[in-house]
Amino acid sequence: MSNDNPAAIPGHACAIRRFVDALLRSGGDTQVTLRISDPATGDTGSQLGLEAPTAEDLQLSPALVTALEPSADGKRRIEAVIGANALNVIAKQYGIQDIAAWLRTAQGIVYYGQLMRIGTVTVDKFLGADCLYHLTATE
Amino acid sequence: MQPTKDSFYVALRDRLVAVDPDRTVLLDGATRPAIAVIENEPPTGAPLLCDCFYLRWGNARPAPLSVGTLMAMDCTISYCTKGSVQNANLDRGRDLAGLDNNLLVICAPPQTAKCDYSSGSPVALGSTIFWTQPVLNAAKSTPPYVGRDVVVTLFFYPEVNQS
Repeated sequence: MSNDNPAAIPGHACAIRRFVDALLRSGGDTQVTLRISDPATGDTGSQLGLEAPTAEDLQLSPALVTALEPSADGKRRIEAVIGANALNVIAKQYGIQDIAAWLRTAQGIVYYGQLMRIGTVTVDKFLGADCLYHLTATE
Repeated sequence: MQPTKDSFYVALRDRLVAVDPDRTVLLDGATRPAIAVIENEPPTGAPLLCDCFYLRWGNARPAPLSVGTLMAMDCTISYCTKGSVQNANLDRGRDLAGLDNNLLVICAPPQTAKCDYSSGSPVALGSTIFWTQPVLNAAKSTPPYVGRDVVVTLFFYPEVNQS
Protein backbone atom coordinates (compact mmCIF):
# COMPACT_ATOMS: atom_id res chain seq x y z
CA MET A 1 0.00 0.00 0.00
CA SER A 2 1.45 3.35 -1.01
CA ASN A 3 -0.36 5.34 1.69
CA ASP A 4 1.62 5.19 4.95
CA ASN A 5 -0.89 7.20 6.95
CA PRO A 6 -2.75 4.81 9.28
CA ALA A 7 -5.55 7.36 9.68
CA ALA A 8 -6.35 6.91 5.99
CA ILE A 9 -7.12 3.20 6.41
CA PRO A 10 -10.90 2.69 6.11
CA GLY A 11 -12.44 1.64 9.42
CA HIS A 12 -9.41 2.54 11.50
CA ALA A 13 -11.58 4.51 13.96
CA CYS A 14 -13.82 1.50 14.53
CA ALA A 15 -10.84 -0.73 15.20
CA ILE A 16 -9.33 1.72 17.68
CA ARG A 17 -12.61 2.15 19.54
CA ARG A 18 -13.10 -1.61 19.78
CA PHE A 19 -9.59 -1.90 21.17
CA VAL A 20 -10.37 0.79 23.76
CA ASP A 21 -13.61 -0.98 24.70
CA ALA A 22 -11.67 -4.21 25.19
CA LEU A 23 -9.21 -2.42 27.47
CA LEU A 24 -12.03 -0.92 29.52
CA ARG A 25 -13.74 -4.29 29.85
CA SER A 26 -10.51 -5.85 31.02
CA GLY A 27 -10.55 -3.31 33.86
CA GLY A 28 -13.80 -4.69 35.25
CA ASP A 29 -16.53 -3.76 32.74
CA THR A 30 -17.98 -1.07 34.99
CA GLN A 31 -21.22 0.71 34.13
CA VAL A 32 -21.65 4.45 34.64
CA THR A 33 -25.01 6.14 35.14
CA LEU A 34 -25.28 9.52 33.47
CA ARG A 35 -28.25 11.66 34.52
CA ILE A 36 -29.47 14.09 31.89
CA SER A 37 -32.27 16.61 32.06
CA ASP A 38 -35.16 16.39 29.66
CA PRO A 39 -35.71 19.57 27.62
CA ALA A 40 -37.22 22.41 29.63
CA THR A 41 -40.69 23.65 28.75
CA GLY A 42 -39.23 27.10 28.17
CA ASP A 43 -42.16 28.82 29.84
CA THR A 44 -42.02 31.37 32.64
CA GLY A 45 -42.20 28.73 35.37
CA SER A 46 -39.09 26.94 34.16
CA GLN A 47 -37.23 30.22 33.58
CA LEU A 48 -37.95 31.26 37.17
CA GLY A 49 -36.76 27.93 38.54
CA LEU A 50 -40.24 26.92 39.66
CA GLU A 51 -40.45 23.74 37.60
CA ALA A 52 -37.79 21.11 38.05
CA PRO A 53 -36.96 19.44 34.75
CA THR A 54 -37.58 15.74 34.56
CA ALA A 55 -34.46 13.64 34.32
CA GLU A 56 -33.41 10.46 32.63
CA ASP A 57 -30.70 8.00 33.65
CA LEU A 58 -28.53 6.57 30.90
CA GLN A 59 -26.39 3.50 31.51
CA LEU A 60 -23.01 3.69 29.81
CA SER A 61 -20.71 0.72 29.45
CA PRO A 62 -17.84 -0.13 29.24
CA ALA A 63 -16.35 2.44 31.59
CA LEU A 64 -13.90 2.85 34.42
CA VAL A 65 -14.39 4.91 37.56
CA THR A 66 -11.43 6.13 39.58
CA ALA A 67 -11.61 7.94 42.90
CA LEU A 68 -9.58 11.16 42.78
CA GLU A 69 -8.15 13.18 45.62
CA PRO A 70 -10.88 15.12 47.41
CA SER A 71 -11.24 18.80 46.53
CA ALA A 72 -9.83 21.47 48.82
CA ASP A 73 -13.12 21.66 50.71
CA GLY A 74 -13.16 17.90 51.28
CA LYS A 75 -15.70 16.94 48.65
CA ARG A 76 -15.35 13.58 46.92
CA ARG A 77 -14.13 13.59 43.33
CA ILE A 78 -14.17 10.86 40.75
CA GLU A 79 -13.04 10.39 37.21
CA ALA A 80 -15.17 8.34 34.85
CA VAL A 81 -13.57 7.07 31.67
CA ILE A 82 -16.09 6.11 29.03
CA GLY A 83 -15.48 4.59 25.62
CA ALA A 84 -16.51 6.57 22.58
CA ASN A 85 -18.58 3.68 21.22
CA ALA A 86 -20.99 3.80 24.16
CA LEU A 87 -21.44 7.56 23.81
CA ASN A 88 -21.75 7.49 20.03
CA VAL A 89 -24.77 5.20 20.27
CA ILE A 90 -26.52 7.65 22.58
CA ALA A 91 -25.41 10.66 20.54
CA LYS A 92 -27.00 9.15 17.47
CA GLN A 93 -30.17 8.37 19.40
CA TYR A 94 -30.50 11.95 20.70
CA GLY A 95 -29.17 13.73 17.61
CA ILE A 96 -26.13 15.16 19.41
CA GLN A 97 -23.28 16.63 17.38
CA ASP A 98 -20.83 17.74 20.07
CA ILE A 99 -20.69 14.97 22.67
CA ALA A 100 -18.25 16.78 24.99
CA ALA A 101 -20.44 19.91 25.14
CA TRP A 102 -23.52 17.76 25.70
CA LEU A 103 -21.86 15.92 28.60
CA ARG A 104 -21.18 19.27 30.28
CA THR A 105 -24.91 20.02 30.26
CA ALA A 106 -25.76 16.76 32.03
CA GLN A 107 -26.97 16.88 35.62
CA GLY A 108 -24.12 14.59 36.59
CA ILE A 109 -22.97 11.04 37.25
CA VAL A 110 -24.80 8.89 39.76
CA TYR A 111 -22.16 7.28 41.97
CA TYR A 112 -23.30 5.03 44.80
CA GLY A 113 -26.68 6.72 44.75
CA GLN A 114 -25.25 10.23 44.90
CA LEU A 115 -25.33 12.73 42.06
CA MET A 116 -21.85 14.01 41.28
CA ARG A 117 -21.65 17.22 39.23
CA ILE A 118 -19.53 17.04 36.10
CA GLY A 119 -16.69 19.54 36.20
CA THR A 120 -14.52 18.82 33.20
CA VAL A 121 -14.78 16.73 30.07
CA THR A 122 -11.72 15.85 28.02
CA VAL A 123 -11.48 13.68 24.95
CA ASP A 124 -8.62 11.38 23.95
CA LYS A 125 -8.17 11.13 20.21
CA PHE A 126 -6.07 8.62 18.38
CA LEU A 127 -5.36 9.02 14.67
CA GLY A 128 -8.11 11.61 14.51
CA ALA A 129 -10.79 9.42 16.05
CA ASP A 130 -12.46 10.07 19.43
CA CYS A 131 -11.56 7.11 21.65
CA LEU A 132 -12.07 7.97 25.30
CA TYR A 133 -14.03 10.56 27.25
CA HIS A 134 -12.69 11.53 30.68
CA LEU A 135 -15.24 13.09 33.00
CA THR A 136 -14.30 14.50 36.38
CA ALA A 137 -17.17 14.92 38.79
CA THR A 138 -17.53 16.35 42.29
CA GLU A 139 -20.21 15.66 44.89
CA MET B 1 -37.37 39.60 47.93
CA GLN B 2 -38.09 36.80 45.49
CA PRO B 3 -40.98 38.72 43.85
CA THR B 4 -38.52 41.55 43.18
CA LYS B 5 -36.08 39.20 41.48
CA ASP B 6 -38.80 37.52 39.45
CA SER B 7 -40.52 40.77 38.45
CA PHE B 8 -37.26 42.33 37.29
CA TYR B 9 -36.37 39.29 35.19
CA VAL B 10 -39.83 39.00 33.63
CA ALA B 11 -39.91 42.73 32.84
CA LEU B 12 -36.56 42.61 31.08
CA ARG B 13 -37.42 39.39 29.28
CA ASP B 14 -40.74 40.71 27.98
CA ARG B 15 -39.10 43.94 26.84
CA LEU B 16 -36.37 42.00 25.06
CA VAL B 17 -38.99 39.97 23.20
CA ALA B 18 -40.65 43.21 22.10
CA VAL B 19 -37.42 45.00 21.16
CA ASP B 20 -35.46 42.20 19.52
CA PRO B 21 -37.59 39.08 19.03
CA ASP B 22 -34.78 37.36 17.12
CA ARG B 23 -32.41 37.46 20.09
CA THR B 24 -33.05 33.95 21.34
CA VAL B 25 -30.88 31.13 22.66
CA LEU B 26 -31.20 27.39 23.00
CA LEU B 27 -31.02 26.80 26.74
CA ASP B 28 -31.93 23.55 28.51
CA GLY B 29 -33.25 22.21 25.24
CA ALA B 30 -35.72 25.04 24.77
CA THR B 31 -35.53 28.11 22.56
CA ARG B 32 -36.22 31.18 24.67
CA PRO B 33 -35.40 34.89 24.88
CA ALA B 34 -31.68 35.41 25.39
CA ILE B 35 -31.86 36.33 29.05
CA ALA B 36 -31.54 34.05 32.06
CA VAL B 37 -31.06 34.18 35.81
CA ILE B 38 -28.02 32.13 36.79
CA GLU B 39 -29.53 30.86 40.03
CA ASN B 40 -32.61 29.60 38.19
CA GLU B 41 -30.64 27.48 35.75
CA PRO B 42 -29.45 23.90 36.26
CA PRO B 43 -26.06 23.81 38.03
CA THR B 44 -24.20 22.06 35.25
CA GLY B 45 -20.62 22.48 34.08
CA ALA B 46 -21.73 24.01 30.81
CA PRO B 47 -20.11 27.35 29.97
CA LEU B 48 -22.25 30.47 29.71
CA LEU B 49 -23.59 31.17 26.25
CA CYS B 50 -22.56 34.06 24.05
CA ASP B 51 -25.11 36.70 23.01
CA CYS B 52 -27.21 36.09 26.10
CA PHE B 53 -27.85 38.29 29.14
CA TYR B 54 -27.15 36.54 32.46
CA LEU B 55 -28.47 38.01 35.69
CA ARG B 56 -26.63 37.41 38.98
CA TRP B 57 -28.06 38.68 42.22
CA GLY B 58 -25.74 40.47 44.61
CA ASN B 59 -26.10 41.82 48.09
CA ALA B 60 -29.26 43.34 49.52
CA ARG B 61 -29.27 46.03 52.19
CA PRO B 62 -31.36 48.90 53.49
CA ALA B 63 -31.36 51.69 50.92
CA PRO B 64 -29.08 54.55 52.00
CA LEU B 65 -30.72 57.77 53.16
CA SER B 66 -34.14 56.19 53.03
CA VAL B 67 -36.98 56.44 55.48
CA GLY B 68 -38.89 53.25 56.17
CA THR B 69 -38.13 49.80 54.85
CA LEU B 70 -36.93 50.61 51.34
CA MET B 71 -34.21 48.15 50.35
CA ALA B 72 -31.55 48.08 47.65
CA MET B 73 -30.21 45.01 45.87
CA ASP B 74 -27.51 44.70 43.23
CA CYS B 75 -27.95 42.74 40.03
CA THR B 76 -25.02 42.08 37.73
CA ILE B 77 -25.98 41.64 34.10
CA SER B 78 -23.24 39.82 32.20
CA TYR B 79 -23.04 39.26 28.50
CA CYS B 80 -20.43 38.53 25.88
CA THR B 81 -20.11 37.85 22.20
CA LYS B 82 -17.50 36.60 19.79
CA GLY B 83 -18.98 37.97 16.60
CA SER B 84 -19.60 35.67 13.69
CA VAL B 85 -17.34 33.08 12.12
CA GLN B 86 -18.33 34.32 8.65
CA ASN B 87 -16.73 37.66 9.49
CA ALA B 88 -13.71 36.08 11.19
CA ASN B 89 -14.94 37.45 14.53
CA LEU B 90 -14.16 40.98 13.34
CA ASP B 91 -17.72 42.05 14.02
CA ARG B 92 -17.59 41.24 17.74
CA GLY B 93 -17.44 44.94 18.59
CA ARG B 94 -20.55 45.59 16.55
CA ASP B 95 -22.32 42.65 18.14
CA LEU B 96 -21.38 43.96 21.57
CA ALA B 97 -22.83 47.33 20.61
CA GLY B 98 -26.04 45.55 19.66
CA LEU B 99 -26.17 43.86 23.06
CA ASP B 100 -25.40 47.19 24.77
CA ASN B 101 -28.23 48.83 22.88
CA ASN B 102 -30.64 46.04 23.79
CA LEU B 103 -29.68 46.34 27.45
CA LEU B 104 -30.21 50.10 27.55
CA VAL B 105 -33.60 49.74 25.87
CA ILE B 106 -34.91 46.92 28.06
CA CYS B 107 -33.85 48.70 31.24
CA ALA B 108 -36.04 51.70 30.39
CA PRO B 109 -38.31 52.76 31.91
CA PRO B 110 -36.47 51.80 35.10
CA GLN B 111 -39.50 50.48 36.92
CA THR B 112 -42.08 47.73 36.81
CA ALA B 113 -44.94 46.39 38.86
CA LYS B 114 -43.97 43.87 41.50
CA CYS B 115 -45.71 40.52 41.15
CA ASP B 116 -45.58 37.24 42.98
CA TYR B 117 -44.88 34.38 40.56
CA SER B 118 -44.62 31.59 43.14
CA SER B 119 -48.02 30.18 42.18
CA GLY B 120 -47.03 30.01 38.51
CA SER B 121 -49.10 32.97 37.39
CA PRO B 122 -48.37 36.60 38.30
CA VAL B 123 -50.21 38.06 41.28
CA ALA B 124 -49.87 41.83 41.58
CA LEU B 125 -48.51 42.91 44.96
CA GLY B 126 -49.61 46.53 44.64
CA SER B 127 -46.18 48.13 44.57
CA THR B 128 -43.45 48.83 42.06
CA ILE B 129 -39.75 48.17 41.95
CA PHE B 130 -37.35 50.60 40.34
CA TRP B 131 -33.70 50.56 39.45
CA THR B 132 -30.71 52.62 38.41
CA GLN B 133 -29.81 53.10 34.77
CA PRO B 134 -27.10 50.69 33.64
CA VAL B 135 -23.62 52.15 33.31
CA LEU B 136 -21.56 50.51 30.59
CA ASN B 137 -18.08 50.02 31.98
CA ALA B 138 -15.04 49.15 29.91
CA ALA B 139 -15.55 45.96 27.93
CA LYS B 140 -13.67 42.84 28.97
CA SER B 141 -11.78 41.42 26.04
CA THR B 142 -10.56 37.83 25.96
CA PRO B 143 -10.15 37.14 22.25
CA PRO B 144 -12.30 36.16 20.54
CA TYR B 145 -14.75 37.11 23.29
CA VAL B 146 -15.69 40.60 24.32
CA GLY B 147 -18.28 41.37 26.95
CA ARG B 148 -19.38 43.39 29.93
CA ASP B 149 -20.55 43.05 33.51
CA VAL B 150 -23.09 45.78 34.20
CA VAL B 151 -24.34 46.40 37.73
CA VAL B 152 -27.85 47.70 38.26
CA THR B 153 -29.20 48.51 41.72
CA LEU B 154 -32.85 47.72 42.37
CA PHE B 155 -34.96 49.39 45.02
CA PHE B 156 -37.99 47.70 46.53
CA TYR B 157 -40.09 47.36 49.63
CA PRO B 158 -39.79 43.86 51.09
CA GLU B 159 -43.03 41.94 51.31
CA VAL B 160 -43.48 40.75 54.86
CA ASN B 161 -45.54 37.74 53.87
CA GLN B 162 -43.40 36.79 50.91
CA SER B 163 -40.38 34.55 50.98
